[in-house]
Amino acid sequence: MTKISRRQLFFFLAFMAPVGKLIVMPARLARVCGNDLWLPALAQFLLQAAAVFCVLLLAKRGKSLYELLSGCLGKIAGKVCVLLVGAFLLFAGLLPLLEEKLFVQGVFYDTLPSLLSFAPFFLFSAYLCSKPLASYGRIFDLLAPIAAVGFAGVMVFSAGNADFGAVLPVGASGPAAIARGFAGSFAWFFDAALLLMMLGKIEYKKNMAWQGALCYLGGGAAVVLFLITFYGIFEGTALNQLFAFTKTSKYFSGFTVLGRADYLFIFLLSLVAAFYTALPLTGAIESVLQAFGRPAALPVLLSVGLSGIYFLLVYLFDYRFGDVMRAVTEQAFWLFPVFTLLLPPLLLPLKGRKHESA
Amino acid sequence: MRARKFWNTVPMKLWLLLLAAILFSFFSNDFGLVDIQKTAVIVAAGIDKTENGFSVTSQIAVPKGTDRAQGGTSSVNITTEGPTVSDCITALFGKTGWVPKLVFCDLILLGEEAVQEDVIAYLNYFLRNEYMPDNCLLAVCEGSAEKLLTSQSAIDDASSLAIEKLFSDAAEKSGKVLTNTLKDFAIGYYGVSESSYLPFVKMAPQKGAEAGGDSSGGSGGSSGSSGSSGGAEEQIYTAEETALFLKGKMVGKLPAEQTLALSLLEGNVFAGTFSAQENGQAVTLTVMRNSGGVSLDMKGTPTAKLSVDVTCRLCCRGTAAPIEDISSDVVSPAVLEDANKVLEGYLGALFENCKQTGCDFLELKKSLYRSSLKKYREWKDYLLDTVRPEIVTDVKSMK
Repeated sequence: MTKISRRQLFFFLAFMAPVGKLIVMPARLARVCGNDLWLPALAQFLLQAAAVFCVLLLAKRGKSLYELLSGCLGKIAGKVCVLLVGAFLLFAGLLPLLEEKLFVQGVFYDTLPSLLSFAPFFLFSAYLCSKPLASYGRIFDLLAPIAAVGFAGVMVFSAGNADFGAVLPVGASGPAAIARGFAGSFAWFFDAALLLMMLGKIEYKKNMAWQGALCYLGGGAAVVLFLITFYGIFEGTALNQLFAFTKTSKYFSGFTVLGRADYLFIFLLSLVAAFYTALPLTGAIESVLQAFGRPAALPVLLSVGLSGIYFLLVYLFDYRFGDVMRAVTEQAFWLFPVFTLLLPPLLLPLKGRKHESA
Repeated sequence: MRARKFWNTVPMKLWLLLLAAILFSFFSNDFGLVDIQKTAVIVAAGIDKTENGFSVTSQIAVPKGTDRAQGGTSSVNITTEGPTVSDCITALFGKTGWVPKLVFCDLILLGEEAVQEDVIAYLNYFLRNEYMPDNCLLAVCEGSAEKLLTSQSAIDDASSLAIEKLFSDAAEKSGKVLTNTLKDFAIGYYGVSESSYLPFVKMAPQKGAEAGGDSSGGSGGSSGSSGSSGGAEEQIYTAEETALFLKGKMVGKLPAEQTLALSLLEGNVFAGTFSAQENGQAVTLTVMRNSGGVSLDMKGTPTAKLSVDVTCRLCCRGTAAPIEDISSDVVSPAVLEDANKVLEGYLGALFENCKQTGCDFLELKKSLYRSSLKKYREWKDYLLDTVRPEIVTDVKSMK
């Protein structure tokens, strides 16, 4: 299959994209906004849905990002722009990668393991990212039911322990805190930029743009529901619960007899999160391939090389997750709206034409 | 049709492989990586205040072998001291060579002296620890936690297991004990009420019983502590009183009747009992259905409405009764009237206790905060002083 079908794309938007927002983001939002943690997330999902709508309108033209850009700006400028998007994805992918590393080390081990315990992820990403982006369609097919079952399982075990009144009164944290939470949460919302790299590989169907945006909002509603449940369970201590989706379900009263059966569902979500973590890297590789063509060995070389760079970065920032998060969410957060919210509508007026070498 | 087409596109082998991988991960038992010979599996921790910091008594589970005659759970109690709880726990490694493992720690006991200060000073270690379950039980004990944990229980090999029996679901539903976990205590502490409660554990000697010389009680620990030795007097534990906390410090206690009243307010009680009177004779009623709640009315003078609904049946009389009476569960109107008065008395005393101690275990401030931020800011410092109680009880008989 050379194109990502409508169903596969909707699966990504509704089921896979939300999973990346369930690990560290809830605790981070609770730290900044307290009981209003769901408001910045809701605003982000609405804005991203609008951006997704724009990208899917662009998908109607059947052209890749590079073809769109080079058609109007010329080859050089087109290459620079598409590489900039790729560089942004590499940057955006760093925080989820560090999250995933901490998550694996913190949840699946009962003592702090060495970095090597996470090293197999880079073998996985090196293999996965060497595959064409279009082949992700089948992955979305597989992962969507897994994510749905995992999320439903976690919510079933969690909801009964939540005091949903804990999110009241709405707006208690104040506009300044909500605004800070909104700015800080940009780091987890780059799905529209991921979709930009899929342009040209999406099999466009009628009404796909608004349907896709609606699917994304559906996934967003699930995340908002999770955030409310999360705060309902932990209230003022929510900011201390780093790996949110592994924490909420453990208080289910039946587990005293059954054991932590919720780990089955946590494993399912973890599996989806691993693929989602590798997606920005695939996007970055795709940007290079769009800019410089597709010699046979290049995807493999890029995949191995960039996975190696990511490994080095993870090694470098092994005990500096807090620094990285502060840098991304408090200083460089403005990069995210530029590439995910501004770029898609700015591309809409571009006509573009099919580039010969692409 | 489309759905069918979709499912047909996914190879069944792939699903089976995925399923196998996930099940394998789940049932791998951590691949047996926990070396029990090198690990101190701490099942309970007791914390006391000392002159130089803290002392932590760790009750460590010890494999007892496969001898059926000596089956059960054996434990060793080791007491360590240090300026922080973390230092105390890690001192275990220095003194025993065992790596402390808190993942099975189900009980934290706080000594009576320790709760005179903000207990988060002790508990923050456990809240920070990702490898410690935050749903472990938390309790205060009379005297020192070390003394209680190292005592010989009359009903179980390990004192912590005997204490945990007091906090079982069945015990909680009886209304005789109010349990709390580390997580919920922290939520209360960091919430707008800054209040919480913990069960207050007392021990008393079991008359006429002594532990045997081959008792499974722990052997001596380090730092001058000792486990229970053979021949020590067996103890029984009770937790009918409830310690009240404000800003992390213990500020008062609920006696047994008020513990029951708060349980009834929380709607927790099923099959618990309380006594009323008929013609001057005691009658015990069993609670078969219970609902309760606290609501705050801020119109005019703030009023807290404490309402308890109870459906009960006659359980026992303190006097001889004819067989017709014994065969009936129905509670007479006179007993119901007295039962209402009894519960009103309990709830009234409970409310006064809330006002006097300043411990907002009725969560009035939280209720106000959630309903109106403006009124909360206006009233938060005076609410408990000015609020009036409105007590509504409805004791019904099973028909």
